[in-house]
Amino acid sequence: MTEQRVVSPEELFPEVPASIFLFRSCTGSMEYPGTENAIKEVMNKLGVNIVMDPDQTCCSGYLLTCSAHKPEVSLAVTARNLAIVEKQNLDTYVFCNGCYGYNRELSHIMKHNPAYMQMANDVIAKQGYKYEGKTEIHHVQELWYRLKDEIASKVVNPLQGLKVGVHYGCHYLAQQYHILDDGGYPTFHEEIIEAIGGTPVFYKERQLCCGYSVGRGITHKEVMVQPHLYKKFKSAKEAGVELITTCCPGCNVGLDREQPNLTKRYEEEFNIPVIDISQLIGIALGVPLKKLGFEANTVPLNGIINRLGLERGESSL
Amino acid sequence: MPREKYKDKADGLYKQVDTYNLVENLETCLACGKCVGNCPVASLSPSYNPRQIISDVLNGDAERWLNSEEIWRCFWCAGCATVCPNDIQFPLLMMQLRYRAVEHNYGLKYIMPFKRFALRAREDGLTFAPSEKGREKIKRYRSNLGATPWPEISDRAKAEYKELFDLTGATEYLNNTSDEAEKPVILKYTEGRIISD
Repeated sequence: MTEQRVVSPEELFPEVPASIFLFRSCTGSMEYPGTENAIKEVMNKLGVNIVMDPDQTCCSGYLLTCSAHKPEVSLAVTARNLAIVEKQNLDTYVFCNGCYGYNRELSHIMKHNPAYMQMANDVIAKQGYKYEGKTEIHHVQELWYRLKDEIASKVVNPLQGLKVGVHYGCHYLAQQYHILDDGGYPTFHEEIIEAIGGTPVFYKERQLCCGYSVGRGITHKEVMVQPHLYKKFKSAKEAGVELITTCCPGCNVGLDREQPNLTKRYEEEFNIPVIDISQLIGIALGVPLKKLGFEANTVPLNGIINRLGLERGESSL
Repeated sequence: MPREKYKDKADGLYKQVDTYNLVENLETCLACGKCVGNCPVASLSPSYNPRQIISDVLNGDAERWLNSEEIWRCFWCAGCATVCPNDIQFPLLMMQLRYRAVEHNYGLKYIMPFKRFALRAREDGLTFAPSEKGREKIKRYRSNLGATPWPEISDRAKAEYKELFDLTGATEYLNNTSDEAEKPVILKYTEGRIISD
């Protein structure tokens, strides 16, 4: 209870790292591969070197929380993945709130329960790994916030007041310690949006879960998830949100893929495109649109592209 | 009059639920209800009530939640934990409530889809890798970005991921998961205000 809950970006990163380990997200590399690519492109513009490792696997957290299996395998998987990062003397940067939450939570459990640390290490020792708990686990967005001023200074396509409703995603805010902002009323995404020329919109249900909801989109879609999402989109629409940003490809699935079904069920159009905040930063910094992978989106971005006058030149979709 | 303590009548249920010792501070629950107020599921389906569930676990009342439909509605958003003044990790309790339900053959229909996903992930080293047809779309999108057609995951990663499922008993657990003995779950906390569709 004595640990600091909210930390400033300067406390979190006294020095901006020269190299980071980017933790591959299953959803972010398959469902919306543009999110992973946007991060690579923007980090490149900011001079941060990205290291990835083909030996890294899925974090296995989603299936754990869907009750598919017991925690032992996820503890071992987490220990193995983080041992791979530790070997390279790097900190872990995650861009999916799921991977972030599970890696943080499971490594916390191991670091605070020697029996679990032992159990996981006994298993991964058979594969030649050892997890020591040294690598820090960050969300990529924390680095965006730390580099906000530098990002602002590199903007070539200002967002011209585009009304952006942000979605933080639960599993970042649910972390109790060492996060960037107050989980109850965060504003750091809005500050980033402002820095790149957008107008953040504080819509009423902005902190409502994405409806991906760890499997409930499969087991309880009609009874729970759709009414829940309808509430969220109604409030975003009423507030005039033109674009929603997430910081988690899983949230993107929940918010983007389900919109046509909501329109069908509730007979109401929303048509609010949903992209990762890294992709929006990519747009502002002049990353070619085809490098941002918007063709994977269900709700098309054409309106936004036209609104920002990006339709010409190499910026074709 | 001394305050009645949960453990006076709990009959050890709390420890039978929290077999992984992940929610050791459950008894510090103040019953303040912030978790309920911040719960998106409770707002749509008020018979789902985290505070009530905590009370039932501490009181040794397994009858209420074990075969309830409500425990399967949790979104795992952890909104309850975000606002809990005593840092109670309710989602980690929920995880174990569901294990206990499954042991009694309740809620199996809600885990069967994920058995399929997990057995596939065990092969791929990735969760949600789709069937061949879906893979073509991923490969096209990734190629258009200038990325490798498939996420760069090594054969070693896939083999070791699979092996971790075997070594930790997860493969056996998954293979034994079946809905043959399925018993029905019902809405148990009916005092809640249910909003009709």
